Amino acid sequence: MSTTVLRTKPRRSRLHRREQQIALLFIAIPLIGFLLFTLYPLLYSVYASFTSWNGLAAPKFNGLDNYIKMWNDPYFLKSMWNTLFLMIGIPIGLVLSMALALGLNRKMRGITFFRTVYYVPVISSIAAIAIMWQWAYNGDFGLVNQVLDLVGIQGPNWLADKDTVKPALIIMATWKGLGYSMLLYLAALQSVPRYLYEAAALDGAGTWQQFRNITLPMVRPVTFFLVVTSIIGGSQIFIEINIMTPLGGPEFSSASIVWYIWRQAFNNLHMGYASAMSIVLGLIIFIVTVIQFRLNRRNQFSID
Amino acid sequence: MKKSRLIAASVAMIATTGLLLSGCSAGAADTGEKQLTFMFRGGEDEKAAYTTAIKAFEKANDVKVKIISTTADDYATKLKAAIAGKQIPDVFYIAQGDIQAYVNNGVVLDITEYVEGSDTLDLDNIWEYGVDSYRFDGSLVGEGAIYALPKDVGPFSFGYNKSMFEAAGIPLPDVDTPLTLQEFVDISKQLTVDLNGDGELDQWGTGLNVQWSLQSFAWSNGADFLNKDRTKVTVDTPEFAEALQWFADLSNVEGITPSTSQAQTLDTYQRWMSGQIAFFPVGPWDVSTYAELDFDWDLIPYPAGKTGESATWVGSLGIAVGSTTEDPELSAKLVEYLSADVTAQQTLVDAGVQIPNLKDMADTWVADSTTKPANKQEFLDIVNGYGRALPANNTYNAEWYDELFTNIQPVLDGTQTAADYLKEAQPKMQAFLDDANLQAGIG
Repeated sequence: MSTTVLRTKPRRSRLHRREQQIALLFIAIPLIGFLLFTLYPLLYSVYASFTSWNGLAAPKFNGLDNYIKMWNDPYFLKSMWNTLFLMIGIPIGLVLSMALALGLNRKMRGITFFRTVYYVPVISSIAAIAIMWQWAYNGDFGLVNQVLDLVGIQGPNWLADKDTVKPALIIMATWKGLGYSMLLYLAALQSVPRYLYEAAALDGAGTWQQFRNITLPMVRPVTFFLVVTSIIGGSQIFIEINIMTPLGGPEFSSASIVWYIWRQAFNNLHMGYASAMSIVLGLIIFIVTVIQFRLNRRNQFSID
Repeated sequence: MKKSRLIAASVAMIATTGLLLSGCSAGAADTGEKQLTFMFRGGEDEKAAYTTAIKAFEKANDVKVKIISTTADDYATKLKAAIAGKQIPDVFYIAQGDIQAYVNNGVVLDITEYVEGSDTLDLDNIWEYGVDSYRFDGSLVGEGAIYALPKDVGPFSFGYNKSMFEAAGIPLPDVDTPLTLQEFVDISKQLTVDLNGDGELDQWGTGLNVQWSLQSFAWSNGADFLNKDRTKVTVDTPEFAEALQWFADLSNVEGITPSTSQAQTLDTYQRWMSGQIAFFPVGPWDVSTYAELDFDWDLIPYPAGKTGESATWVGSLGIAVGSTTEDPELSAKLVEYLSADVTAQQTLVDAGVQIPNLKDMADTWVADSTTKPANKQEFLDIVNGYGRALPANNTYNAEWYDELFTNIQPVLDGTQTAADYLKEAQPKMQAFLDDANLQAGIG
């Protein structure tokens, strides 16, 4: 940056300078927005995490108390574990959406119809979806159990049983996210050059081998993108939990970390403690993402 | 050169900040007219009712009221954000359970002198429960200075399906003497039947949600959640265990509720409305919906445990004045209008979403036999007599109370006894309560 500045220095005209100032003005708008609405709150929450703050009065500094409390808080650990558990849905979702994308990548009648159908959950409001699934999961007359009943299975009371509430949420989240991942995969599949398949076929590669050695590597950037964004999104799962199990589920078994943070901050007047937990969550997400980028870089290759 | 760039950048930044800030404050620019802000949540009925009350207030006091309305879910979050951002509305809804924390932290104003000396409002004509819920003397809620007036009081009453009783030839329960727990179970058993003979039950005695109904049975059994000065959690008493065990047994032993493994409100609520449940709780907010039901129903006192006296809870929402208001007197006046304006109250009562805040209006409302339920008096008896505040409403926060329900499922499923569970829960609840009292500076 600075080297270019030096190089262009002698050729600077007044007009040039003027334009540069105007450019800075344009840059300033988003920059100030970022400083004011992102960086300042971020720094403030770092500060708040070292205070005892109820969100009403001024924060009082209390050192590492919040972090020590967190370490000994069984509900914090449990909600962290729950959040992690719910991420089982991510690989499942990827496999399913890949399969769907492969299916919908062929020429057949009504293809746009199916693509739309799978994409509808993505554009629907998450609150509406959560309420709909809440009914579907009702142990007594819910749709899910009625269907299971047809094949002779006595379905559980999904959301009121601590062993089934997490699978129930995973199924819902997978269903909701399917269309989005499918669409990305579909785009990736269509950009795989045909000649690669032709060459492979000539060399005698079967369908499975083609898939393994051509398709999968070629869509790898999309897979990477989906994994990263799903993990970030998955760590922040909140709305569906808050609607479907407003009290964190039976025995706290569906409480996610963001749900617990929100509850501590806005229901229990522990804004400082909640800030500390969100700092920890932020750090974890950051570290995990860095690791992912590292791994991805190591595995990168190109075929030219 | 570099320096001048820096200066240019800073100037640009300051200039834009100035623009941004002036843009922000333009909305609040002084137009010479006095303005109050009122923040609340609520449905169409509340909006309609308050629009008339606020119009009357604006006219009488030559002032503008800016209304900020949010959805029910968003309200707590938005209000707390406003408080944290030092933009406390002049007048706003306050949850009953927040009074202690808000007073301690100087968010709400003491309005005692305004409402006691008011000429628009007669304090004696408003339910004591409604006013006392917002009194706080520095250590106990319920006594001392007044910090808010009630938006409403919500007695959680008990209803029964009259048509079902008549069809089964069972004598109707008395509206004055509560059923004993045993009588309640016996009647429920008679009404838990398979009507169409397909081998599956399609009518049940009851189906209650532990979170909203346990209080009543615990209290009437002589138990309580806290001691008098709210420093000790008392759920580990035999009376409490007995009440909780009895509650769980309704499903697990007596089999008088729909599905054995649950107490989800959703389906029992639906079943009650489709006439498959004999006994079900009724709040004033339910009346407009239940009035449309195609069976006849009425209110009775809650079945009573060992003490022989009914008990239940009364909810309430308050309207308070923010501590940073420029005109406390005028803000307090707005609170009075919202809480006690006759036209507004009548609109809300007619909509069937609440009972009147005003005693004299309640008397005419009770006497009106054209609207359901017939035994409206039960609502008033709860407010005036056997109703109590929800346990967490008188403490700094509700963490200790929520803890009781977090791990209660095994008891409801019948895999753990109530006594065992409560013994486990008490120390955890106590720790949360101690923490809350510490934060509140009491105990």
